[in-house]
Amino acid sequence: MSKVKISFNLNYEDIVVEVESNKRLLDMLREDLNMKSVKEGCGEGECGACTVIVDGITVTSCTVLAPQVDGCSVITLEGLSKDGELDKLQESFMEAGAVQCGFCTPGMILSAKALFMKNPKPSKDEIKRAMSGNLCRCTGYKKIVEAVEIARDK
Amino acid sequence: MKKKGTGIGCMWYGIGNTGLPNPAAAFVEVHSDGSVTALVGCADIGQGSSTVMAQIVAETLGVKYEAVNVTAADTGVTPEGGATSASRQTYISGNACCEAAKVAKKILVEVAADAFGVEQDEVEIKNNNVFVKNDESKQMDFLTLMGELKKRGKIALGSGSFNPDTTSLDPVDMHGNPYACYAFATHIVEVEVDTDTGQVDVLKIVAAHDVGQAINAQMVEAQIEGGCAMGIGFAVLEELELEKGAIKNPGFSKYLINTAMDMPEIYPIIVEDPTSTGPFGAKGVGEPALIPVAPAILNAIYDAIGVRFTEVPVTPRKIIEALSEKQN
Repeated sequence: MSKVKISFNLNYEDIVVEVESNKRLLDMLREDLNMKSVKEGCGEGECGACTVIVDGITVTSCTVLAPQVDGCSVITLEGLSKDGELDKLQESFMEAGAVQCGFCTPGMILSAKALFMKNPKPSKDEIKRAMSGNLCRCTGYKKIVEAVEIARDK
Repeated sequence: MKKKGTGIGCMWYGIGNTGLPNPAAAFVEVHSDGSVTALVGCADIGQGSSTVMAQIVAETLGVKYEAVNVTAADTGVTPEGGATSASRQTYISGNACCEAAKVAKKILVEVAADAFGVEQDEVEIKNNNVFVKNDESKQMDFLTLMGELKKRGKIALGSGSFNPDTTSLDPVDMHGNPYACYAFATHIVEVEVDTDTGQVDVLKIVAAHDVGQAINAQMVEAQIEGGCAMGIGFAVLEELELEKGAIKNPGFSKYLINTAMDMPEIYPIIVEDPTSTGPFGAKGVGEPALIPVAPAILNAIYDAIGVRFTEVPVTPRKIIEALSEKQN
């Protein structure tokens, strides 16, 4: 497969990469750019484990082709902590005990982050709606929603 | 029309493998810098067993939780832990950690007694402090004690294993003692059934669990809440469609599981009735969290619309079919 050169902003840094034109965004992030927080769950856009933020909107990176982010800004979980300091969402997930096996956690946190970027003070129902594209089999979601509420109130 | 109903589900459940030996073991070493290594076979699959093992080791030794580093489920270095199944790891690997830490602690206490010039049963180690009971003048910090070990060429090392006291079941009448302890739980559920669409909404679950002793209350709650989510799916949502052995709905758009929006209010209640054979009295909660949910929901549906379902999941289609049958 032929490669294409794309330039985009990844976690607040401009980068230029050459990538196979049929490569999924998920695979480029994990394999080429070492963004291992991005998880592959179902591989068909239904579970939300591979969620990343593209131009302020959450997308499932398993259903986006890498060249589609040319000129965009992409945020993964790696982009949330700065100089070893965790984002308030990461802190609140720990505080609430919202992580069990952890496989859904990066996607959950990014869905909450994208919600805060649009609406810094969401209601509980708005939080539940924003997180409803991310499936979790461990927690029952209660502590995840609580974690987002804690971060909202910080 | 929307009709509300309330239902109760109760359960008891044996902790550990049924009527079989199922041991686990652990190694514990206290290092000269005061940190602790615990090697356990127990695999943490998200329920938080490594946290629980660290807490048990810390509490037994009398050191801070943060000092304990757990290496878990690494067959290169960890002893047998058995499967993370049967709601058994807190109880069985927890007991093994407790035993291993007690052996290591015995060495700490021997050296402390020698250094203080007192009997061993007068020595206490708590919260990283080493002191003599009833004599406040005699105390040292933990690092000083580790220095005393070094002077004497002692290493604070322990191993432990635990196998629950069970018997196999008689193949004829199934009598026997298959489990060393049992967990108990009761769930009360409120549902709302839409008699026009057949939709069942679970509104509220109160879930009380006797866990013996909660080693980590937040994680026990989390397991109970997760069990409720899975139980709701089992009762009203998750329908595996099989045809000639093949799954016809192998995807989350056809095989539906709960999302954050589907979850009811959940009120976990932790009941602590310590069991004499558990680490600090702890039993297990993994499977018990799921077991009473579906029966309680089906009882609540009966309370709401007077139809007794005996198969799950109770999908909207089954509700509508049952209601029209009842009318005719």
